[in-house]
Amino acid sequence: MIVGGGGTGGALAHDLALRGLRITLVERGEITSGTTGRHHGLLHSGARYAVKDRESAVECIEENRILRTIAPGSFELNDGLFVALTDEEADYEKLFFESCEASQIPARRVSRAEALRLEPNLNPDLRCAVQVPDGTMDAMRLPLRFFATARRNGADIRPFTEVVGMSMTTPKRVDGVQVVDRASGRRYDIGADLVVNAAGPWGEKIARMGGVDVPIQPSPGILVAVRGRFANMVINRLHASGDGDIVVPQRELSVIGTSSWVTDDPDHLAVPADHVEAMFREGSAMIPSLRGATMRASWSAARPLIGERGASTGRELSRTFKCFDHEAEDGVSGFITIAGGKATTLRAMAEATADMVCRKLGVDRPCATRNTELLPHTAYYA
Amino acid sequence: MSSPVEPANDTHATSGTGRSVRFRVSRFKRGDRKPHYQDYAVEVAPGTTVLDALTAIRRDQDPTLILRHSCYHASCGTCGMRVNDTEVLACVTEVAGLDGGTVKVDPIANQRLVADLVTDMVDFYDKFTAVDQPLVRDSDAIPAATVPPGVPGFTRFENCIECGLCLSACPIVATDPRYLGPAGLAAAQRVLEEPREADAFSVLRLTDDPQAAWRCHLAFECTAVCPSNVDPAGAIMFLRRRLASDRVKSIFGSGRRP
Amino acid sequence: MSERATGAGPGLDLRARGERISPRRRGAWGWVDVRGRRLGQWAFILNRLTGLGLLVYLFLHLGVLSMLAVGPGAWDGFVSTALTPAFLALDVVLIFGLLFHGLNGLRITLVGLGLVVNRQQALFVALMVFGAIALLIAGLRIFAVG
Repeated sequence: MIVGGGGTGGALAHDLALRGLRITLVERGEITSGTTGRHHGLLHSGARYAVKDRESAVECIEENRILRTIAPGSFELNDGLFVALTDEEADYEKLFFESCEASQIPARRVSRAEALRLEPNLNPDLRCAVQVPDGTMDAMRLPLRFFATARRNGADIRPFTEVVGMSMTTPKRVDGVQVVDRASGRRYDIGADLVVNAAGPWGEKIARMGGVDVPIQPSPGILVAVRGRFANMVINRLHASGDGDIVVPQRELSVIGTSSWVTDDPDHLAVPADHVEAMFREGSAMIPSLRGATMRASWSAARPLIGERGASTGRELSRTFKCFDHEAEDGVSGFITIAGGKATTLRAMAEATADMVCRKLGVDRPCATRNTELLPHTAYYA
Repeated sequence: MSSPVEPANDTHATSGTGRSVRFRVSRFKRGDRKPHYQDYAVEVAPGTTVLDALTAIRRDQDPTLILRHSCYHASCGTCGMRVNDTEVLACVTEVAGLDGGTVKVDPIANQRLVADLVTDMVDFYDKFTAVDQPLVRDSDAIPAATVPPGVPGFTRFENCIECGLCLSACPIVATDPRYLGPAGLAAAQRVLEEPREADAFSVLRLTDDPQAAWRCHLAFECTAVCPSNVDPAGAIMFLRRRLASDRVKSIFGSGRRP
Repeated sequence: MSERATGAGPGLDLRARGERISPRRRGAWGWVDVRGRRLGQWAFILNRLTGLGLLVYLFLHLGVLSMLAVGPGAWDGFVSTALTPAFLALDVVLIFGLLFHGLNGLRITLVGLGLVVNRQQALFVALMVFGAIALLIAGLRIFAVG
């Protein structure tokens, strides 16, 4: 039983279905309607983490390569540029480039003149740039390929089915979930040998239904989409990290992101006016013509970061993921939680979680998702 | 910018704005005979969208309301609805820009209604997948750009986001289940323009059918409602021009089969 | 993760059980409902209405002509009815039907073969303006007769 129909849940359903388990996945809304569908669509090269978070960077570039293999035709593959706009950033470039190389991220140094030939809309005052294998994915349709394949392999995917409680024969044992089928209003129970909480920023709410606590800190950020494709490559600011430092092209839109704050309620995300203005300001520092672009949409999405409560802004929390075995950690059996991570690493998160699931259920089957090509997303509707 | 305090100045606020709007939302659960409307009041800010209002209703007033949404920026196509009888994507439709005091929300038409505003898109995809259009196309943006080493050529996603608004607005789809429909025909035109791995010739033959390119009666409502610049009606006329000229050539030409 | 409980919910997966939610096509209502629709829907509706109207007129016309076969008395009676203002007004409606159906038909023929597609709405408006002028002139001449 998987609770949560985001990228993690879908990839996990796919992994476990390939290993021969019988899966039911429940999601309270439409598939990917939580955080997964809302991100800017970056297929991460990992370069952003190369300097400060080597582990994340290595994980990212490996998953980047795997996704290109198992989901062909699902990406805008134009690479990305990290652009230095100030002297300080130009000085940082050497460390950045070497860190990419050390993380096995194919990187290429690009002069100012060449950067402007590759992307004529860049700020002509840029100092230099680094080319990395970034790309754009469709934030909903890529995960949907995992769901389509899982469904074809027998997984029972149930959207609009909301978990309202855990079935527990004793306070120390989860036996399944209590759900409401929102299409009919009917309540019923679904039994399971193991329940996996893959609910992203809602993970803590689900965990509490099972009487455990997980340190998931919802960490929202704003995104702004404007009309117009101002660059074909993903454009990043070459600095440590900050707000509004990425512009991701997607069809005929450009998505500028992002910012970071913390909240308790992932169902109540603000879209602050000053953050919107900051996106235009920071985005147009890299691409001046963004300033005059028409806004198509502005919205927020909550990252499901792992960390203790009391974190200040969310930027200092790690982006890696973690599986929590509640039997070992809290004495509640039949229940595990997967939290953290980012869109590009959905398959890796699923592999680690599936390994734990199989270990706990005594199933001895290896992961097959690295090499299994996924069905097209349209197969989900077949 | 990154701050520990909950940010203020929410441009998409659904409370505390002092401007209340009535939403008349179509409700239907499995087992009901037919849909009925239910009224809700939501406060809105200038940037609040229909989707923000509907999710606020679900969150604060009525958790039984279900609707489809995902990307919040007109790229996934799941939040298609009829708002005041016009097909739109709820995530980019600002409440402040709508006429009248009440906002009427219905599900898109001509698909299978699951419940409330949720439709099952299986019929859309039955037609759409008959064409097997690739997701990705050559990018025509920024012709002055040079392609970087390691990249074969700049590519981007096709415009169609599979939202089904075109099928909802089309009067022929309303009455004829056999019509291939604007989305499928627009996909076919793209395959002819840029085949990639697809078989352009068999796609052309697929469109030369009384239930395909020739079934359209030129209402052009599909193009009027498309949120993503697909222009399905224009695509259908392109197909007709191609089919008609092929036919004329074969009549007046050398007599060889095409 | 075996499913052990009873009363499994179907979610969206009704097809597996042989149930199908029936499609809710709008049917003929999708032809005539102009709420939320634009110019193209009006053209679609009026084309149908004028087409049906012209068909009805054809039969009426044949009926009228058959009076010629009956004799001068019947024909003269008809002609005097035909000169009443109400009937002349119907003549104007008939001219409208002919003009609309013909001119819109011209648009459909041209655009439907892939010509003038990008300016098709402008073409429609231009043809309708032309038709309106023609209708006005025709109307004036019709009522001048009566």
